[in-house]
Amino acid sequence: MSLEIESMVRYASPINPAVFPHLTMLLLGIGIFFTAWFFVYEVTSTKSSRDLFKELLLSLVAALFSGFGILFLLLWVGIYV
Amino acid sequence: MMPAMAKIQVLVLLLLYIAIQCGSLNVDTISSDIKIKNVDRSIDISSQLVKITSKVTLENTGKVPVKNFLLSVEGGAKSNLAFISAKDQNNKDLRLVETTVKGYDQVKFWRVELKEAINVASTAIIGTESVYTKALQPFPTAITQQEDQLVKYNGNLYFYSPYPVVSQKTNVVLNTKSVESFTKIKPFSQQDGTIAYGSYSNISPFTEKELNIHYKNNSPFLTVTRLARLIEVSHWGNIAIEETVEIEHTGAKLKGPFSRYDYQQDHHSGPASVRSYKTFLPASASDVYYRDTNGNISTSNMKVKKDSVELDLRPRYPLFGGWRSHYTLGYNVPSYEYLYHSGNEYLLKMRAVDHVFDDMQVDELVTKIILPEGSTNIVVNFPFTVTRLSDSLHYTYLDTKGRPVITFTKQNVVENHIQDFQIRYTFPRLLMLQEPLLVVGFLYTLFLCVIIYVRLDFSIHKPEHQHKD
Amino acid sequence: MTVEVQSKAKLSQLSSDKQLTFIKLAVLSMAAILSFATRLFSVLRFESVIHEFDPYFNYRTTRFLTEEGFYQFHNWFDDRAWYPLGRIIGGTIYPGLMVTSATLYNIMQFLNITIDIRNVCVFLAPFFSSLTTIVTYLLTKELKDEGAGLVAAAMIAIVPGYISRSVAGSYDNEGIAIFCMLLTYYFWIKAVNTGTILWATMTALAYFYMVSSWGGYVFLINLIPLHVLALMLLGRFSARVYVAYSTLYCVGTILSMQISFVGFQPVQSSEHMLALGTFGLCQLYAFTQYLREHLSPANFELLFKALLTTLLATLGTALVVLTVTGKISPWTGRFYSLLDPSYAKNHIPIIASVSEHQPTSWSSFYFDLQVLVFLFPAGLYFCFTKLTDANIFIILYGVLSIYFAGVMVRLMLVLAPVMCVVSGVAASSLLSLHVKDIEPKVEKHDKKKKHENNFVFRSEVGALFVCVLGCLLVSYVFHCTWVTSEAYSSPSIVLSARAHDGARIIFDDFREAYTWLKMNTPQDAKVMSWWDYGYQITAMANRTVIVDNNTWNNTHISRVGQAMASSEEHAYEIMRELDVDYVLVIFGGLVGYSSDDINKFLWMVRIGGSTERGAHIREADYYTGAGEFRVDAHGSPTLLNCLMYKMSYYKFGLVYTEGGRPPGYDRVRGAEIGNKDFNLDVLEEAYTTEHWLVRIYKVKPLPNRGL
Repeated sequence: MSLEIESMVRYASPINPAVFPHLTMLLLGIGIFFTAWFFVYEVTSTKSSRDLFKELLLSLVAALFSGFGILFLLLWVGIYV
Repeated sequence: MMPAMAKIQVLVLLLLYIAIQCGSLNVDTISSDIKIKNVDRSIDISSQLVKITSKVTLENTGKVPVKNFLLSVEGGAKSNLAFISAKDQNNKDLRLVETTVKGYDQVKFWRVELKEAINVASTAIIGTESVYTKALQPFPTAITQQEDQLVKYNGNLYFYSPYPVVSQKTNVVLNTKSVESFTKIKPFSQQDGTIAYGSYSNISPFTEKELNIHYKNNSPFLTVTRLARLIEVSHWGNIAIEETVEIEHTGAKLKGPFSRYDYQQDHHSGPASVRSYKTFLPASASDVYYRDTNGNISTSNMKVKKDSVELDLRPRYPLFGGWRSHYTLGYNVPSYEYLYHSGNEYLLKMRAVDHVFDDMQVDELVTKIILPEGSTNIVVNFPFTVTRLSDSLHYTYLDTKGRPVITFTKQNVVENHIQDFQIRYTFPRLLMLQEPLLVVGFLYTLFLCVIIYVRLDFSIHKPEHQHKD
Repeated sequence: MTVEVQSKAKLSQLSSDKQLTFIKLAVLSMAAILSFATRLFSVLRFESVIHEFDPYFNYRTTRFLTEEGFYQFHNWFDDRAWYPLGRIIGGTIYPGLMVTSATLYNIMQFLNITIDIRNVCVFLAPFFSSLTTIVTYLLTKELKDEGAGLVAAAMIAIVPGYISRSVAGSYDNEGIAIFCMLLTYYFWIKAVNTGTILWATMTALAYFYMVSSWGGYVFLINLIPLHVLALMLLGRFSARVYVAYSTLYCVGTILSMQISFVGFQPVQSSEHMLALGTFGLCQLYAFTQYLREHLSPANFELLFKALLTTLLATLGTALVVLTVTGKISPWTGRFYSLLDPSYAKNHIPIIASVSEHQPTSWSSFYFDLQVLVFLFPAGLYFCFTKLTDANIFIILYGVLSIYFAGVMVRLMLVLAPVMCVVSGVAASSLLSLHVKDIEPKVEKHDKKKKHENNFVFRSEVGALFVCVLGCLLVSYVFHCTWVTSEAYSSPSIVLSARAHDGARIIFDDFREAYTWLKMNTPQDAKVMSWWDYGYQITAMANRTVIVDNNTWNNTHISRVGQAMASSEEHAYEIMRELDVDYVLVIFGGLVGYSSDDINKFLWMVRIGGSTERGAHIREADYYTGAGEFRVDAHGSPTLLNCLMYKMSYYKFGLVYTEGGRPPGYDRVRGAEIGNKDFNLDVLEEAYTTEHWLVRIYKVKPLPNRGL
């Protein structure tokens, strides 16, 4: 608590704001791809051909990429969360 | 654990507050050892503010070194006083402590604590500066569109001091030659928009002599009646600032009609009105917006300069006496300009109030600082005395338990108050992952719902023939 | 071996199935996104701002709803409008729109998505257009097949006739009403096809939403009974229709009466009588069916005739008695003007003065629908070739809405969806017919069977046809985008023009004036203006107005019209009577803005003169001897000395507007004004905006005695 300003360093974002657009595009692109895959799989597969593990894996990957993609989208458009 | 910490914090702050309050109830006595040898005073009334700077030569006529002395302000003027400061010969700021003196209840005193004591029979030169708001009264109080604005200044001809003054001179800066009337006590001289009084010798302590000047002053008489400043810190590298400004032209009121024809034809029409003013933003400001409750105000220009961004703000309509306006100005600055860290300890160093226009006067300032969600151990350091309001929580995008908000307010603020405050807080860096993971979690729950939904079967009637090959 | 082949076939079948699902999903979601995106032109060009006039009222009420809560909103008596009468807002609006956006807003606030209520309002219409796209897909799917559904969805996403009322910022009832309407239709078709109470109840709920959001629900509650009647006449009436309609009518009517603005109209007003009559007829029909089964034909015949005569007689007398006693409200003007386009013009000037109540011109059909106009008949043909209950509905809907759209420009909005649905059917049928020809593979299988049908160049002709249709559709896309961008995306609250050097000039005078009023006049100041600007003044300036766009009191508007059309002294009396503090006029003569108050002035004269107290105002006085309306020196002296003229042109005679023209040259009327040198006695100029678009005058108090 008693640190002086001289001993501190300037704080910059862990990720350079200049790459927010690219990150958004990349992550959201992958995210949407997996989301589409997931939904198509859900709609077309029947009760017998469904594989729970595949579903869970697909949805997890889709959620991970889309989630981070949405975060960077927010940051890109100026909503600094 | 958390509330306990917060409680202790509040307690400490309370104690501090009480200590400061006690300090201001100090009682001092007027030392008879001090004598003022010379005062060089300049009263600048060319804008809407009254700025008094004086060079005071103090002399120690006593037997012991003097470590502090008293500054005083007339009882009639103390409510208008916005800012006061004192500097020594090396241009270093001196500490001022509010104090009282028995027998002078109406007068406001400060005890100036000198860095180096004045030795016996030696002198020291102290520079003081004070700014008064609303000390200039428009007279007549209402004018038509074409008329010039005349104002009255009512002050003290002599340097108001608890000590005897041997010799003093006063320069009043008006920046105009058209003076209706002014106090004429010899010796005085008037030239090029200044009036010089003095020197007067051997004025006894607490002498008041009325100084009246009635003159033309068409400089913008704009008062910010309320300035709400919102600072939102994001650890994704951005600090967002939004200022909501309520502004009023507090000069002579507009009498009679407003004629757009005259206003457009003749550029000198409406000399006392304000068409636009300049606001300076930090050089790194970006994404500037300027709007009010009805939407964007499309009339403004932005110029990027070396050390600042200059905004030429035009209100939707020119401001005449008594007219009011309201707008919101917002911008982003990168965090590395104002935020420092060492490990998980952070320090935010920013202006408590920023420039709105030159010679501004702000009736009420409310500054809110929103820290990232999960910040703890918040300690605030103000450059001047403010009233700190209770902390609150702010909820916005992807928040769960809310972001801590520090709020403070101050009345009667002028440009001299553009100083930095400091906030220290602790923020574990890993918490930054909370927001994206929240989105991921939400999406995953959604997908899980789909997975469960397709497994559900609501039909009462089972289909009889299954697909058989 | 067989197992392998089978699994392979299964795999390929599965994957083609997957591809199909994927394409369907992709097309539908892209259409939905496109319908949102294409409505954002004005936001990108200007800003996120509410457009026009009525949306400002909706925006204001929505803000009130979010701030004060539903009960306050329901009981809201607004003293800011129609001074000194006021207006019971809670009981005189369709609250669906406000409740929808307030609900969305509250949900988002609950999720800590801190979006401004204004932005919710601005983006509500595009959002609902996306939903409309999806509902259109479902509806067309029920009518024909998924392919037609996709085409229809893609078409409605960008059809200008619908975009005109649903661009971002156009926060009006129609924005969500079209969605509700199509949803009701979808559920209705579902209900008719399945005959289940579930779907019928869903229809009733959707109908309730529709009633709560737009007065155009009357169209819907007449169309559905008409469908039932048509089915009866065609001998297609079945238990399914009986269940669907009975449930819908009972539940829907009770629900619709919960809207306080609608109240008892569903059982009293003549506009709803078709629905009631059909409901009764349904019961009778079902009852006769029942009797017929249990009685001998001769007895049945006798009973039937006796019953029919008594029933018709009672019904007839009851109808007459109720109409005479006023229990059944007389046919309203708007409804008459639907049936007889010239009715309103001849009888009610206030209805005729609204441009959107004018009959539609032929060109605007093409402008708003383009290729759909040609595809529509083809679609009708395809509907007729395979007549089903659902198809009959869509045919009825199409034909009726074409008629109504011809009567009133505004109802183009009702026509646009059915145009898309029917054209979707047409385009899809035509394409699937001819794409089949191009592929030689299909013909291979049954070459022998269709040998006689198979003429030369079959695949070439097919390809040509597909190309032509493709070109048409592409031109449709370009046309729609162009129309949206050029015609329907200006917020009208901010005007823009191009300067000589190509730079964009923005005229933000309206907001300048409203903000001035808001900040610099007393809280309780009363502002008089022509009714067009009432909603904007209350919403943006938060001041009391005398009349506004809810034109419910003709005499009050007429009084304002009289003030504007009278001389200064006479107008002063009226303004004192109405307690007016400020008068606001729109004047476009300096910048050439043509929809200003002088151009609307003749309506003020007509409406002002339409009541007893305004009998002294005669339209003929405002024309020259030759019957012209002119503002120059030849204009009639009555015009040149009336209040509106004086307020518009005060000090304008000194201004040079165009090079080579005398001062006081009006750029809208293209004339030098006739009365230049005058002073205002009872008013003083309070504010005029930068481009003179809005001029505000203060009414002077009575002079002191003895002066």
